[in-house]
Amino acid sequence: MSSTEPEQPQGGEPGGYAPSVAERLAFYQRAGGIITPIITAVIAFFMGGLVVLATGHNPFKTYRAIFDGTGLNWFFHFGHHHITLPFTHTRVFFWWDTNANANASYNLSQTLLLTTTLILTGLAVAFAFRCGLFNIGGQGQYITGAIVAVWVGSSWAGMAKGLHVFLAILLACLAGAAIAAVAGFLKAAVGAHEVITTIMLNWIAYWVGSYALGRGGPLQNKVDISVPVSSDVVKSGKLPTFWGNPELQALHVGFFIALGALVVFWLMLNRTTLGYQVRAVGFNPEAARYGGINVARNYVYAMAISGVFAGLGGAMDILGWQYRLGVLDIQVSNIGFIGIAVALLGRNTAVGVGLAALLFGALVNGTSTRGLDPSVFPPTLAGNLTLMIQALVLLFVGADVLVLAIWSSRKKIGLGRRAASPPSPEGAAT
Amino acid sequence: MKKVRFAAPLAALATVAVVAVALAGTGAAAPAKKQATPFKAGLVSDVGRFNDKGFNQNQLVGLKYAQAHIPGLQISALESHSAGEYLPNFASLARKGFNIIIGAGFLLANQEATVAKQFPNTKFAITDYTAFIPPFSGKLKNVEGLTYATQENSYLVGCLAGLMVKQKGGSQTIGVVGGVKIPPVDTFLAGYQAGAAKCDPGIKVLVGYSQDFIDQAKCKTVAQNQIDQGSQVEFNVAGPCGLGTLDAAKQAGIWGIGVDVDQSYLGSHILTSAVKRVDTGVYLAIKGAQNGQFKGGADLVFNLKNAGVGLGKISPNVPASFLKKIAGLRAQIVAGKIKPPTKVK
Repeated sequence: MSSTEPEQPQGGEPGGYAPSVAERLAFYQRAGGIITPIITAVIAFFMGGLVVLATGHNPFKTYRAIFDGTGLNWFFHFGHHHITLPFTHTRVFFWWDTNANANASYNLSQTLLLTTTLILTGLAVAFAFRCGLFNIGGQGQYITGAIVAVWVGSSWAGMAKGLHVFLAILLACLAGAAIAAVAGFLKAAVGAHEVITTIMLNWIAYWVGSYALGRGGPLQNKVDISVPVSSDVVKSGKLPTFWGNPELQALHVGFFIALGALVVFWLMLNRTTLGYQVRAVGFNPEAARYGGINVARNYVYAMAISGVFAGLGGAMDILGWQYRLGVLDIQVSNIGFIGIAVALLGRNTAVGVGLAALLFGALVNGTSTRGLDPSVFPPTLAGNLTLMIQALVLLFVGADVLVLAIWSSRKKIGLGRRAASPPSPEGAAT
Repeated sequence: MKKVRFAAPLAALATVAVVAVALAGTGAAAPAKKQATPFKAGLVSDVGRFNDKGFNQNQLVGLKYAQAHIPGLQISALESHSAGEYLPNFASLARKGFNIIIGAGFLLANQEATVAKQFPNTKFAITDYTAFIPPFSGKLKNVEGLTYATQENSYLVGCLAGLMVKQKGGSQTIGVVGGVKIPPVDTFLAGYQAGAAKCDPGIKVLVGYSQDFIDQAKCKTVAQNQIDQGSQVEFNVAGPCGLGTLDAAKQAGIWGIGVDVDQSYLGSHILTSAVKRVDTGVYLAIKGAQNGQFKGGADLVFNLKNAGVGLGKISPNVPASFLKKIAGLRAQIVAGKIKPPTKVK
């Protein structure tokens, strides 16, 4: 991950230059490798366990129940099975039973559904971060993508299947890019801070969606006018599913699209001129400008590409398994915000985002009340446990900047003997 | 936040469906009688979740009441944090062999119908939604609608409002503010109109809609308008939005009437409330399913007779003679001698 960034030792800022939040995060993202995110997660789970203990329940049993609820226990159920290959009637030997009627495999398919979306909303935050931008607008870009996807997907019933899905995904991505690019443009043109503008754009997406899908809105279904929900996505607009009963929220091919997006993210950042420029701006916009890079243009591009990822996430949810969108769905959804946690824990790298998305997807699914045995942990508390562990992870992700600062100052004492060492980014981070 | 229902016109159809299910259900009812397999009842919340101090929470109360009053009943209440959880929640209860699974309102209708099709041997019920309209359309014989005959209790509050205005004199006008003009709102309004006319024949009932269930200001504006036209009682039929209606009544120093739950806690200006007992509905649905009285493909209607609808706390300022009059009308409705209308005039 960090070894692919040859320019990082030069990332140190000149003395007296006050580091921006993005610069500190950029440093923090490079430092500490894989150890700090793991320690962060472990501490968060430990603290969560203490809270469970305080409520008078057994934390080990609770975590075991959550683990079973995620469906990840499926991997421990080895055996000799004959399973049907997706899209065919061929039966082949496999070590795990893929029959989605079993609870473990069904739970796992639901975890992976969430992981799919979280990868994409995580990448939306991560890509902007690499350009030194803090994209809080993942939620709004996700909603925009979902609205466009449900609009295209529920119209033009006669269209050819492949074309319809492709068009819906394409327009959702473009819509996500468009709303995100507004924030990038404002930053580039007048220096409006992207944290403020993306939060404001979130509300624009929220209210546009509430209007469009609300009573009498243009996208509301025509069958039952008392329900503020869109029409259903027509058959030709649905993504194919490959694991589970297609009627019961089966895992769809969007999972592979999300994995593909991780590869695209990596390739784009590390193997293209655009990615090089984006990272250069992320490390130090002044130096990048001095080096001849058009910083303003890169702000717009980076935000637009972030918006593509989030918009794609919205399209995957609508075309893959939700098939409809309601006002309440928009109002209670927070998957774009969880994407921020995914990106931070995943250190804005492709592999990190993939793993963090799996962790958060599993956490959200595992702490749902259906997975938890009420005798182990009361269902009414379980939902709050999800939020608590999420919050603790975020807190420690934030707090480990502090841990790193302590760690780096200790290193500086150690380095004291090698006084000739060049100024390091640690100085700027403390 | 109500759902469309047609109670009376489809009663005949309902009877046919009930007979059909009774014949088909004889086999299914047998295992429940065995002591070895306990009866299991599940409830799935909408995204309001069980701590919403209202619709979902009241249904959880009903589920817990059922657990306390039906020996050996096993319960499970699943919360939905997003619309994406409805389907897995229903499916997981069905897989675990729950005998009856109740969806807490119209938001869950589509997903409940999908799961009900996949698990034809599991019984499903849905609160405040009729089984006769899409997505169920009366064809899913393992889904029962739980509907509320709110025209009956609204008839009583209408009568009470009429009596109070008649006693006070002055402008013989009362008002009602509905959310959106949809059948579940209009049943309240129709009963209110008919009840008021019954007890104060010359009365004028002003009917208004706020076009909203949430925004209190919209209801308040409509109520204010009616008060300016001389309304002396304001009836709220718009959920949280209607708090604005009751607030307008309080400021104008006139009576307000609550809806869905007992809203007498709002102050001494509350005459009474037209209460919809979703907890009773959940309890009776479970009990019925256990006793083999499940009405698949049809509705279980909750009314004054089975205490599924009723009146909240009545203001102590109401004379005893009025209470007696109300009690008399109630008895006549229960006996079927008065049938309050469901269509607004």
